[in-house]
Amino acid sequence: MTAYPVLTVVTFLPLVGAALVLFLGGERRARWIALATAVMTLVASAPLYLSFDKTSSALQFVESREWIPSWGITYGMGVDGISVLFIFLASLLVVLCIGASWIAVHTRTQEFYAALLVAETAMIGLFAASNLFLFFIFWELIVVPLFLLIGIWGGKKRVYASVKFLIFTLTGSVLMLVGMMALYNLCGTLDFKALALARESLEPRHQAWLFAAFLAAFAVKVPMFPVHTWLPDAHTEAPTAGSVILAGILLKMGAYGFLRVSLPILPDGVAFFVKPMLAISAVAIVYGAYVTLVQKDMKRLIAYSSVSHMGFVTLGIFTLDQRGVEGGILQMINHGIVTSALFLCIGMIYERTHTREIKDYGGVGKAAPVYSTFLALFCLAAAGFPGLNSFVGEFLIVGSAFRTEAWLGAMAIWGVALGTTYVVWLYYRVVMGENNPGLLKLELELNAREVATLAPLAILVISLGLYPELVLSYLRAPVAVLLAGVVP
Amino acid sequence: MNSTAGVADLALIIPELILLVTALALILLAPRIRRGPAAAVGTVLAALAAALASAWVLPSDTVTGFGGMITQDGYSGFFKILIAAALALAALLSVRGSDEDEDEDEAPRGEYHALLLLASIGMMLAVSTVDLLTLYLGLELMTICSYILVGFHVQRPTSNEAAIKYFLVASFASALLLYGISLTYGLAGSTGFATVASALSAHDPGRSPLVVVAILLVLGGLAFKIGAVPFHSWAPDAYQGASAPVAAFLAAGSKAAGLAALGRVTFVAYGSAAEVLSLLLAGLAALSIVVGSITLLAQTDMKRLLAYSSIAHAGYAILGLIAGTPAGISATMTYAFFYVFMTLGAFGVVIALGKRGATLDGYKGLAAQQPVAAALMLLFFLSLTGLPPTAGFVAKFVVILSAVRAGHMVLAVLAVACSVISAFVYMRVAVYMFMREPEEPAPSRWPVAVSAALAVAALVTLIGGISPASLMSWAVAP
Repeated sequence: MTAYPVLTVVTFLPLVGAALVLFLGGERRARWIALATAVMTLVASAPLYLSFDKTSSALQFVESREWIPSWGITYGMGVDGISVLFIFLASLLVVLCIGASWIAVHTRTQEFYAALLVAETAMIGLFAASNLFLFFIFWELIVVPLFLLIGIWGGKKRVYASVKFLIFTLTGSVLMLVGMMALYNLCGTLDFKALALARESLEPRHQAWLFAAFLAAFAVKVPMFPVHTWLPDAHTEAPTAGSVILAGILLKMGAYGFLRVSLPILPDGVAFFVKPMLAISAVAIVYGAYVTLVQKDMKRLIAYSSVSHMGFVTLGIFTLDQRGVEGGILQMINHGIVTSALFLCIGMIYERTHTREIKDYGGVGKAAPVYSTFLALFCLAAAGFPGLNSFVGEFLIVGSAFRTEAWLGAMAIWGVALGTTYVVWLYYRVVMGENNPGLLKLELELNAREVATLAPLAILVISLGLYPELVLSYLRAPVAVLLAGVVP
Repeated sequence: MNSTAGVADLALIIPELILLVTALALILLAPRIRRGPAAAVGTVLAALAAALASAWVLPSDTVTGFGGMITQDGYSGFFKILIAAALALAALLSVRGSDEDEDEDEAPRGEYHALLLLASIGMMLAVSTVDLLTLYLGLELMTICSYILVGFHVQRPTSNEAAIKYFLVASFASALLLYGISLTYGLAGSTGFATVASALSAHDPGRSPLVVVAILLVLGGLAFKIGAVPFHSWAPDAYQGASAPVAAFLAAGSKAAGLAALGRVTFVAYGSAAEVLSLLLAGLAALSIVVGSITLLAQTDMKRLLAYSSIAHAGYAILGLIAGTPAGISATMTYAFFYVFMTLGAFGVVIALGKRGATLDGYKGLAAQQPVAAALMLLFFLSLTGLPPTAGFVAKFVVILSAVRAGHMVLAVLAVACSVISAFVYMRVAVYMFMREPEEPAPSRWPVAVSAALAVAALVTLIGGISPASLMSWAVAP
């Protein structure tokens, strides 16, 4: 074990940073304090990955303290192979978000970086929580900073988008709150491990209701069809950092909820709902892809593609098959990397051109070769190009889908084909083709800071594509235990 | 029962006596007190002393005196401290004067504070009594002082109108309560809670409609005090017409006292009719939450907005009483405690901003001009919404959990659904503060006293949300 309570430190360091930004930071100093905090958080989290025992499915780095003794609720932290990956993703993405906002955010910078860091605490805390109560607190905590990030620093329709985001997520999460109380009432505990042991005492009827209550919260966050409508607005209107947080982490919270709550605690509920879940996942893949095809706004296009991609994730999870679930989780990480990278790319060019309409672009390749190379890499990754990260995830998911139901596999393949189409077409229209004369006057090429922001993601895209064991090795043990409980 | 009251019994009402002495002193000295803040300081000190006196006896066993009319137990101690806190904060907020005459006016003087103190004495009696008649007297003392406080600005027509309306409706409610008490007396031959309880347990409420009528009337009278639907119509007008500190005091203190009385009456005196009670309370709670949250949507005046919010919150607080279990009562106590601080905090920001704080439009662009006030308002409104990590979340969690445990699943879903509706309203204020451009010049500075009140309210709202354990172990049912 390490000398300090890693999870607590990693979770709350950003919160301390947020306070420092608010009280010490001037407009310029704020971003340095924020960057230092985010980097320190990433460094402090290193022991989590380095001394992690991949052969064990149990929670590691466990911390437990009394919190509300009269309810038997503890302050419990702990990570397994699934959650530790997301802590890495979250702490990395926040560093990159700060890099991307360095120049782009120039009004009320203190509040901006404070909100970003509070969001980081919520994200990391959510994945580190080892009981449902704490999980719920972090689940709700992330809503407010994102509401402010979208509403203050967003695009033209930011207020509408932020309120819509707030109402959708709150509606889902209050139903989860009732579900959590019912679960507590039936089992007398909220600790994930104890709940998984107590599930025998839950009647199938209760499990189905509880699954539905939690589904309300998780489905909104994923987002699953048909409650995805907040996503295009929120992602499009949010500032780049907000879009990255939304796409990179927030969407994963819902899918993570299925893995942490629904599958281990409510197996009968899962059995009851598994068919509809698979069906709406398949619908989301194809429907999301078609809607993506017709988008004219670059950011909106990527936003809608998330609906399709997250459909793959839920499809993989609900195949309830070792490879399918591993693929689903891997795809969550992949989507977090690739979509965040695409949002960063769009944000960088938007800062120069102030337009997101695809028709205003063309011929960017000649003016900005480095930028175009990065964009090409991330677009190919999004399309599931072999050798890049998403290929492995999609391959695992599609394979499991075929084994579950042939038509699901067919839908997934259809989605992959459409995905290649919209992303290649996007690249074609932006980078290739005729020069848009107006664009040439602008300095489109990336500067060193921006290259440094994109490089870590590019490295991840390639290395995960070539060696997916990097992620899969963490997943094997916990997923096996997870599925042993669900599949009879 | 021992019917003589000795000098020793006075020990039971030390907090009340402290407030009484201060009130009398303020009335006597009123012409000599030139500066308003001096009276406020006296009130705050008296409130602190009263809170300390209540805390000093808090852990001790139950003691009853005054011929079995006044009791001293953890329950009364808890609420006395809460009332003293509400009094102290309201007195601090009063230093600003009222929102509309911020130019001409200085802070109100002695007699105003004397009324606050007297109303608090009424509240303290109401929470510590175990006799229906004393309960009535305590609540009346509180209400009569409140009429005068609401109409305190004699020059202002809205203030007069509010006082008259409040008086008329409240008199009707008092009559209801009294009528219910007299019916109970007829059934039980006594007005002491314990005797009533044992006498009523002989009646089967299903077959004795008189019991149901008596309960209905008493419940109606008490529901009026806490502003629960359908006895809420006075609240918006009274809050809007009164000056903001008075509205804050009513919303916090009288609601806490009313809830405490309701808790003890339903749990102890009428505990045998638990089924009827839980049905009636569930109806009150559901109506208050739904009507309060939905009418909240249309409000643009801040005091009115907070009035409707307090109606909805009365409903949430009642959720804990439905189960009729000690755990449920303790949930309502927790709710009342946190509610007092977050409501006083929200009113505190309204007061701090002066004229600009009175309407929703005044909050446009506040975050850019006055970030501290905007951040505090966000905190209090997050808490009123019930989002973690604020005290409001803990409060909502305990009462809704209590409803779930009592098997009222539909009510629980209704409660959380309405909290989303109210979230829309509260967050609209956040939208105005953070996402709109300012239209008015930055608000002027507010007095230190208001800052102190805001700091206390903010600390309780935050710490209560992060570590509620100590408070919850302290909130024990009678």
